[in-house]
Amino acid sequence: MKPLRIALTKGRLESSAAKLMEGAGLDCSALRQKGRRLILPIGDSLEAVLAKAGDVITYLEQGVCDLGVVGKDVIMERGGRFFEILDLGFGKCGFALAAPAGADFYQGYQGKTVATKYPNVAKRFFQSKDMDVRIIKIEGSVELAPLLGLADGIVDLVETGETLRENGLAVVEPVAEVSARLIVNAASLKLRKREIEDLAAKLEEQIHT
Amino acid sequence: MKNYSKLTPEGVRDVLFDQCRAHREAQRRLASLFARRGYREVVTPGLEYYDVFSLPGAAIPQQDMYKSTDSAGRLLVFRPDSTLPIARMAAARLQNHQRPLRLYYCQSVYRAWPALWGRSHESAQMGVELLGARGLRADLEVIGAGAEALRAVTGDFRIELGHAGLFRLLAGRLDISPERREELRATIETKNYGALGELLDPLGDSPEVRAIRRLPRLFGGEEALAEAESWDLQGSAAEALAYLRKLYTALQGLGLGSRLMVDLGLVQRNDYYTGVVFSGYVQDQGGPVLTGGRYDRLCGQFGPDMPAAGFALDMDAAAELVEAQLPAEAPPEWLVHGEPGWEAQAQGELLRLTAQGKTCQASVWETREEALAYARAAGIPQVLWVGEATEAILAGGGEE
Repeated sequence: MKPLRIALTKGRLESSAAKLMEGAGLDCSALRQKGRRLILPIGDSLEAVLAKAGDVITYLEQGVCDLGVVGKDVIMERGGRFFEILDLGFGKCGFALAAPAGADFYQGYQGKTVATKYPNVAKRFFQSKDMDVRIIKIEGSVELAPLLGLADGIVDLVETGETLRENGLAVVEPVAEVSARLIVNAASLKLRKREIEDLAAKLEEQIHT
Repeated sequence: MKNYSKLTPEGVRDVLFDQCRAHREAQRRLASLFARRGYREVVTPGLEYYDVFSLPGAAIPQQDMYKSTDSAGRLLVFRPDSTLPIARMAAARLQNHQRPLRLYYCQSVYRAWPALWGRSHESAQMGVELLGARGLRADLEVIGAGAEALRAVTGDFRIELGHAGLFRLLAGRLDISPERREELRATIETKNYGALGELLDPLGDSPEVRAIRRLPRLFGGEEALAEAESWDLQGSAAEALAYLRKLYTALQGLGLGSRLMVDLGLVQRNDYYTGVVFSGYVQDQGGPVLTGGRYDRLCGQFGPDMPAAGFALDMDAAAELVEAQLPAEAPPEWLVHGEPGWEAQAQGELLRLTAQGKTCQASVWETREEALAYARAAGIPQVLWVGEATEAILAGGGEE
């Protein structure tokens, strides 16, 4: 049987995932000293590939990876067809709507403009409130947009709120909680149920200890 | 203006040579399978009115459809699904036809997926619809045909059964809004165990809540059915479960063995399915390659009520499986070269050889040297010179 292939989101989620897998008794030494290799064995039954967050979902959907570790933020923004079987508990933060401190974002009849790196998340949030909002996609520091007068507010990932405070912004309303998730492609879960469930159970046990 | 004359639009592609052979071979195997089971082929138009696909309870999300307008400005879509048009066709054209209707199709469907996801926007599908029949015999026939269709293209597949009614019945007994029910359905569909727990926690404890909490985890072999049966459900939910068991046992009798699985959390979106639903899986494909089920209320949207069931198989995936099994295509056996003045006679010789079942190419070269060099380069073993005398030689050199 070929090893299960898991795509890890490069960076912080990758090292947290490695820590979790090590705790669950998997040998992650190749992942710790990866050098230039792109496919890294984890024990005998698993191999990891490192990818950018959105690519994790793409590899999974195309059937070239069985499992993936990716942030809920990316899942919410990108969407896709796969199973989301485990909240891994790390990489915690939240989406929030923020506006200049002291301003009442919901006041007035003028159409609002919101800047964000996550247009789909923002769109769904305002749709759920039946609000017609103009959404502008910004690639870099979103906090700049209200300061320059481009937007009335922003929808962004907020960890401590420090960046917001420094720029005179405050959270108006939380949008959604975010953390890393274990995702799996539908066919793999069906064809290799036992192996995948064993792995998920091991990781879940580790999360709760 | 940018010129796109050298490109194909996103999500579609050219299909060449061995891929074509594989597609034709997969089509041939399935067409013969369906015909032998008494299904008759139908083709529905590539363009249909938008309204066919926007019926309540059977709507395809409008952003997923390629649209156009007709000369009167009415909204048209490129066929995004074959089952709805066949239900429309059966209502309009086959009202007085002997029941049940056994129909099969081989045609492409079009979906406008978000850009750059790598999904096909044009996908070839073959499938069957059995209209005007319900019950164990009808379901067994359709699922059995689905399993045979998979078996015709690969030895390594799984078929998975579920029941669209189970979740609907359980959720119907909960005191929740339709929006909350849709959230529940979505978390079960994606097997998002965590989010499902959070949605169910405020609903307290009841047999239905406990059952729904377990639904997405209940997939695999017989043990999944056994666990659901141990819940001791009442009423229609219990009937749905008992029916699934009956079907499962019957299908085991077909020799599907470990290829047969159940997933009680199989709850598809865009649900025209009312009863048993099933999916087929093969290696190296991220999602199911075959999807189907029972849709007893769909035909009623187009005309008289009529129970129905069917499935569609992804023929691009099927062709990929078949391509690996096909022997390499051999070069033609003969090159037929007519000397100057003997071109028409050469065509005559070619006809004679092809009538004998030989594969032949006509030489388009002026001289024997060019023709011979071509035969060698193209790997054609024999050359026939047609002139004053007709002479066969081996392209490698030497007389035959």
